[in-house]
Amino acid sequence: MNRQRQCLLILIALGGAALGGCATVEPWERDLHAREDMRPNEHDAAIDDHIYFSKEASSGGRGFAGGGCGCN
Amino acid sequence: MQLKKPIGAALASATCGLLGALPAIPVAAQEAPTWEVDTSLLYYAEDAGRVSDGSLMTSIRRLLDEDRSYSLILTVDALTGATPNGAVPSNSVQTFTAPSGGADYTIAPGDPPLDPNFMDTRVALSGNWQQALGESMRWNVGFSGSYEMDYLHLGLNTRLERDFNRRNTTVFVGAAYGRDDVSPIGGAPVGFSPMLRSVGGGEDEDEDEDEEGAGGGEPKDVIDALIGVTQVLSRRSLLAVAFSYGKSDGYLTDAYKILSVVDPVTGAPVPGPVGSGLNLYLHELRPDTRAKQSWFAEWRYAFDRDSLAVSYRLMDDDWGVTSNTVETRYRWNISEDTYLEPHLRYYKQSAADFYRTVLFDGEPLPQFASADYRLADNETYTAGIKYGHRTERGEYSVRLEYYHQTANPSPGSAVGDLANFDLVPPLSAVIAQFGYKFSF
Repeated sequence: MNRQRQCLLILIALGGAALGGCATVEPWERDLHAREDMRPNEHDAAIDDHIYFSKEASSGGRGFAGGGCGCN
Repeated sequence: MQLKKPIGAALASATCGLLGALPAIPVAAQEAPTWEVDTSLLYYAEDAGRVSDGSLMTSIRRLLDEDRSYSLILTVDALTGATPNGAVPSNSVQTFTAPSGGADYTIAPGDPPLDPNFMDTRVALSGNWQQALGESMRWNVGFSGSYEMDYLHLGLNTRLERDFNRRNTTVFVGAAYGRDDVSPIGGAPVGFSPMLRSVGGGEDEDEDEDEEGAGGGEPKDVIDALIGVTQVLSRRSLLAVAFSYGKSDGYLTDAYKILSVVDPVTGAPVPGPVGSGLNLYLHELRPDTRAKQSWFAEWRYAFDRDSLAVSYRLMDDDWGVTSNTVETRYRWNISEDTYLEPHLRYYKQSAADFYRTVLFDGEPLPQFASADYRLADNETYTAGIKYGHRTERGEYSVRLEYYHQTANPSPGSAVGDLANFDLVPPLSAVIAQFGYKFSF
């Protein structure tokens, strides 16, 4: 089995576990999830991703790698 | 004051950013501001006179109603400084030709060869439209573009999100396509061709080359696909997992990077083309395709006052690079208005199969080779802290980060004299960011 197929199976398993294995949190219990600090800070993440992208051989992961550059 | 309030479901989803980032979990709709503006001024500086960057980034998000929003991000970067050209230090003075072919620069014995002519301005603009499709689906479509003197990027992306399980689960899929044009100053050199001293080197010639470079460059196509799930685990925690796959096709070589050709016993540079007065430096050559895949997982936990985020990414590609990244942030909400956020990140990658710190004289050339330190076996860590303070007008923040990278030369490189040098010098950088965001 190649690596990609293994990854896909893991994703399906995780997705299944997430869908079926967790307690339901009702909308009125989302006060903590609604807090600003519980959400991703996309502005800072975009800045960081651009710096790391220009200094390392990896990029993306949480989303698309975004616009390329001729970074040195 | 609005910043202190939980915002609506549409806004929560709109925080997904322009480039297909993980979606935030939907929360109950409440009062939402119409406009959100987030702007920051960034200063990035590497040690030893290497690259420095001043950057201004502004994000604007407009909520039209609960179901629709759009956003724009504009970034302007001004980069200067020196960057490693790929050659290794030597016991003698080394002379190199600048990419434009117009000016030479020399490196003192023992010093790392840095090209001092690095200077560029980058302007990037991206935009995104988000639209609800019924009660439990959202659709995003966006564009991205960036321009540098020698690089043009244009791209499109889209993402679909679907909530399940009373909005405790969000599944998302996305795709992106990018078309880049690389127009190296002086033209794209032939792989493994020797560095030559410029012929003429006059201004007229430079201008001609620049004009050539700005037009039809070397193309590169990039396709990305993303699939993932965000799951509320409890009232306090959630987990996001994403798998992404990317394929690049086209000009992936760095036109400005070279490799030293050295004597396999003494490690001394060997003479270059007759009459050039240069040592032998060959332009690098990389494969013209690259496929990479990555797994990303992030766990967030809300304490009564503070919160914690921990993420992990595993990436590997068909160039032989495998990397692991661990990152964590702790949000210490000192008061309702003020917070501190320490940040740690550790990254480690293996070298690309074709990474070579040097090439040896008399040995056959490999199929591909690059001495770019970013393709070396390296590890980095980042440590930083962010301070934020909210007022009725908006939120001010200051972020300081320290970045340190160490890399290892390819095995067997440190022959003869080269054993006395740091063949891949460590890199340290400081990052200072000043931010201000507000909504109305």
